Amino acid sequence: MYLSVRVDKEKCIGCKICITSCPEPNVFIFLPEQKLVEVNESRCKACGLCTTVCAKEALKIG
Amino acid sequence: MKTGMLKISPGFEDIMPPEYRELVDNGPYGKNYGIGDLGSYKELLEEHPLCAGCGLALSLRLTLASLPMPEDTVIVGSTGCSALAFPQVALHNIHSLFGNQNAVASGLKRALKLRFPDKEKDVVVIAGDGATADIGLDMVMQSWLRREKITTIMLDNEAYANTGGQESGMSMQGAVLNMAPTGKKFPKLSLPEIAQTCGCAYVAAASPAKPKQLAKVVRRAILVAREIGPTYVQLYSPCPTNYKFNPKETVSLIKQREKDGLYQSKEYISQEAKAFLESIEVKK
Repeated sequence: MYLSVRVDKEKCIGCKICITSCPEPNVFIFLPEQKLVEVNESRCKACGLCTTVCAKEALKIG
Repeated sequence: MKTGMLKISPGFEDIMPPEYRELVDNGPYGKNYGIGDLGSYKELLEEHPLCAGCGLALSLRLTLASLPMPEDTVIVGSTGCSALAFPQVALHNIHSLFGNQNAVASGLKRALKLRFPDKEKDVVVIAGDGATADIGLDMVMQSWLRREKITTIMLDNEAYANTGGQESGMSMQGAVLNMAPTGKKFPKLSLPEIAQTCGCAYVAAASPAKPKQLAKVVRRAILVAREIGPTYVQLYSPCPTNYKFNPKETVSLIKQREKDGLYQSKEYISQEAKAFLESIEVKK
């Protein structure tokens, strides 16, 4: 199993800041009804950039 | 570009790669998407071989998401890290000889103007600091002096990162790199001022730490280049591999540099461009 970012759905508020901070395309998918982001794990390189910009600490590399 | 070109011939859907099918069904062509729509459509960039946490990849991704008319845009690239990502971009793009990107773009823009006199076709040069400020500075400056209507976007990672880390004209004074072990001896070149002097109608320096600002300057630069004249955008994109910092610190490093006064965002708009931008921004 490769490393990838994981979303804590309890903490995520759907602010989308992670989406505009990720150097990889199509990693985060925004779910407008639930106001959450989802991760496409196969595309994530686990750089951790999104974890440093998330104000709610909803993202973790694991 | 005719969007019909993208369509898959009937009967071949199941043998096409899933990424391509996704692009046809959910791509951004003709939909006037902006940076706020990221995450809800299939992006123009596909999985690329650039390093984890690459600032240049982030700048390129945000730039592609900010294009006003991706279906009518041709990108001209050049050698460097950015060239590794170009084969993964779902737009017409040309890889030019190192430093020749603005000369190629000039000819291309003129040819498109003759071929499609009543259509808007954007020619955008996206290249690294080596191709723009060092090896291609002659071609870049001459295209500005000739007032070619092209947008030049520099992805400034302050090194020749693709070849193991040599200093470039854009490296800071004292920067220590793999192949500059004693530190760079000369100050960083200030290309925005050069662009202004050479007659660019719109000049801006931005960074991916402020994505909305980046999107705004890229969009403005392309719109001004359509009507008025040459435009230049410099995007500061730190390189974690050659500058040896943790990949997750790319954005915080930009913010720290801004605090220390070593990097600042700028915007210069000529009188003519200002009047034009006001007229189109009022229309919206």
